[in-house]
Amino acid sequence: MLVKNIFIIKVFFTNMLGFRCLKERNDTMVFLDALLNGVLMGGIYGLTALGLTLIFGVMKVINFAHGTHLMMMMYAAYWVVELTGIDPYLSLIVVIPVAYLLGYFTQDLLVNPILKKEADVREPVGVLLLTAGLWIFFNNFFLLLFGANFRSAETIYSGTTFSLGSILVSKPLLYAFIISLISTYTLYRFLKTTRLGRAIRATGQDREAARLMGINVFRIYNIAFGVGIVAVGIAGTVLIPLFYVHPFAGDVFDIRAFVIVVLGGLGSVPGALLGGIIVGVIESLAGQYFSMTWAAALIYIIFLIVLFIRPSGIFGFEKEG
Amino acid sequence: MINSSSKKSVSAKSSLYIFGILILIILLCIPIFIKSANWLQIMILILWYAGLTLSWNFVGGFAGVLPLGHAAYAGVGAYVSTLLFINSGLSPWIGMIIGGIVSALIALIIGIPTFKLHGAYYALASIAFVESIRMVVENTNEIFGIKVNGARGLLIPLEGHAPILFQFGGKVYYYYVILFFVLLILFISYKIQKSKLGFYLVAGGEDQEAAESLGVNVTYQKLIALAISAFFMGILGTFYAQLILYIYPLGIISMVLSFEIAFIAIIGGRGTLFGPILGSFILVPLAEISRMYLSGSRFLGIHLMLYSSIIILVMLYMPGGLISIFERLFYPRGIDKLR
Amino acid sequence: MILLSIQNLSKNFGGLQAVDKFNLELNEGEIVSLIGPNGAGKTTIFNLLTGVYPADEGEMLFQGTNLRNLKPYDVCKKGIGRTFQVVKPFLNRTVLYNVTVGALLKSANITEAECEARDILKFSGLISKKSMLAKSLTIADRKRLEIARALATKPKLLLLDETMAGLTPTETEMAINLIRKISKEKNLTIFLIEHVMQVVMSLSDRVVVLNYGKKIAEDAPLNISKDEKVIKAYLGEEYVVTT
Repeated sequence: MLVKNIFIIKVFFTNMLGFRCLKERNDTMVFLDALLNGVLMGGIYGLTALGLTLIFGVMKVINFAHGTHLMMMMYAAYWVVELTGIDPYLSLIVVIPVAYLLGYFTQDLLVNPILKKEADVREPVGVLLLTAGLWIFFNNFFLLLFGANFRSAETIYSGTTFSLGSILVSKPLLYAFIISLISTYTLYRFLKTTRLGRAIRATGQDREAARLMGINVFRIYNIAFGVGIVAVGIAGTVLIPLFYVHPFAGDVFDIRAFVIVVLGGLGSVPGALLGGIIVGVIESLAGQYFSMTWAAALIYIIFLIVLFIRPSGIFGFEKEG
Repeated sequence: MINSSSKKSVSAKSSLYIFGILILIILLCIPIFIKSANWLQIMILILWYAGLTLSWNFVGGFAGVLPLGHAAYAGVGAYVSTLLFINSGLSPWIGMIIGGIVSALIALIIGIPTFKLHGAYYALASIAFVESIRMVVENTNEIFGIKVNGARGLLIPLEGHAPILFQFGGKVYYYYVILFFVLLILFISYKIQKSKLGFYLVAGGEDQEAAESLGVNVTYQKLIALAISAFFMGILGTFYAQLILYIYPLGIISMVLSFEIAFIAIIGGRGTLFGPILGSFILVPLAEISRMYLSGSRFLGIHLMLYSSIIILVMLYMPGGLISIFERLFYPRGIDKLR
Repeated sequence: MILLSIQNLSKNFGGLQAVDKFNLELNEGEIVSLIGPNGAGKTTIFNLLTGVYPADEGEMLFQGTNLRNLKPYDVCKKGIGRTFQVVKPFLNRTVLYNVTVGALLKSANITEAECEARDILKFSGLISKKSMLAKSLTIADRKRLEIARALATKPKLLLLDETMAGLTPTETEMAINLIRKISKEKNLTIFLIEHVMQVVMSLSDRVVVLNYGKKIAEDAPLNISKDEKVIKAYLGEEYVVTT
């Protein structure tokens, strides 16, 4: 996809804001720059992967439409900002409930019926195909609705930086990173301490046992999917000042999210953040020292390696069968 | 009682055969009635997709796995035959066979580690492979002195009407070539279905552990099916290259094309003999017609919206695919014969 | 004639010794039962024999062939058939199809295999259900199908894992008769895991008792029921009646 390559260039230029005056600085500076940007970007990748890992952890379903949901949330945030002119971060007030409802009803109306049908099949391929279908459908539907134009939200944050010594850091990137940390922590605490959170974890660990404890499993699935999309919604919103919005915007993040989730452990929230940072750093360093397009290919290769060696990831506790 | 129901199935079967032969005759005679290059091209594409989906069906249908990156093998075939032709003048007919073999080998190399993965992971890995291969080709301008041209792709030198070099002056020739390929793949599908390989593949797909306890080396059977599948994908890739006379990575080593193939095959009826053909004959014309009448960048994905919305409906309401409508009509008691 | 010789078979699962130096010899034509409290390691022994798990140590000699490191499909080819504790039929295929897959192992083509499958179905009393989908069978029929399917591979040794669990008394009677029939007419050796004592007592030539992975007794059925160690293992110390 040509659009993806243009995307990557946009990332590169955004990162470029972090290091001007390349010629005058020494190698350590360049390295630290790339490292820092990698960490910050990685935090965002982790944020995008939070939703995916939660959905997988609870429902054992890989949501192929993940990137598309991200794209839809980006459009949602974009339109809120364009139409009302409010601060992009404040648009979360609208985006979060929209995200929750989208997730809840996607699970309720589309995924649950298939899950129920496939109750005694070993691998729920039907849901896979459903989410793959949603991915392709909504990507092209948004193409139809909004056209292929790359839209850029004009916010007061776009392009602003502040300096850390001789390293320039993009402000929206830093804010996004901070929000990622906050969101990860919040989600982690939510799952660990609240009643609902524990119900969600219980359902993920053992569906039958959870049912016996009086948990309405399919309702939990709806809620979990809703929460997952909320995480995606937050991610989409913080991306607005950084990236172009267009129908295929989500695809770049999609594969990175899969890599992160497999790397960090399916179902592990801290694993998603850690995996995100690892991916971000690798991508940034590879992009700095090789080229952006090889960095993209590298992500896929890492993905395959991790899939074959450690399917349960660094933190994951995946049960066989 | 028994007599009347078996009579019913005998007459149902024979009416199916007659129906099939009619369709075959119609297909053979199409170029007599359709002279317009545009419509012939559509027919060719329909058959091309039929071939692709039938090949996919060996793995995605019979073996019960979900490959979502299968177009990679078509891409390998296309590139191998094209590079051989451009660089050594080897006729694409021979290049096609070589391309098919190379595809099969690459499929085996990929298949050996990936078949260890479960459903969703396997699907993800297949996507990762097709995308990685595409990116590697896109980033390669030259390898060992052979020009690959990266993302810009390769033009096949125009030879005019040169049957020996797999190039024809008129679409009608291409039509009969692809028709032949489709019938060949269909025949092989039929043979496999009724063979030990077919039974073992289905058993392995249903329950690997149980099949292994009955003496079935499931992975080995899957690899055989994969090799056959990739071989034909390679051949179809070469056909496409010779039809369009231009190949580029995004056009053939494509995740989107892989999804299209999987969707069409499943909508038609996964694991059945005629499901993929049915899917192609219904969906590809709709896609091509919509492409003809709706132009503009907004509409580039209309056919994809079509395929994906139907797959969602099929997953929700008709997991057996469109062919299950026919199955219920002709075999109300049980469908083991057709599958 | 010794068909299967197991010596010092051991398997450890992350600290838990599931099978501890197990020894057993099976003679041709015997019906031997393996009993023991839940979790004693019985199914693990089956899984070790059939190559589902690799053994840590010990030898398993079947008709002179060493079974160690063989994959499940190779073990089947050597002549050992098995059923699973939780039955695994090919749910979306017909009964005939299920058994045909088994018969394909020793048949030259599909027609021959189907013919063989029909014979097996007649033998097992399932022929009238040959066109039914496996998922529409009752549990008793599913277990019967599982046995028939394993039989179709023409094994010399049949491993039956709790085939009587969950059956009504009538169904149990029918299953016992089937197993007797298999032993006599198919000239097979049968090694079965069972909890239902009625079955064990009425079928077995010999009974082997397993507890915590160790063999604690091996004798004729009647003697086993009086064995102190066995009673202690199953019911606890208090029930041992010293004579």
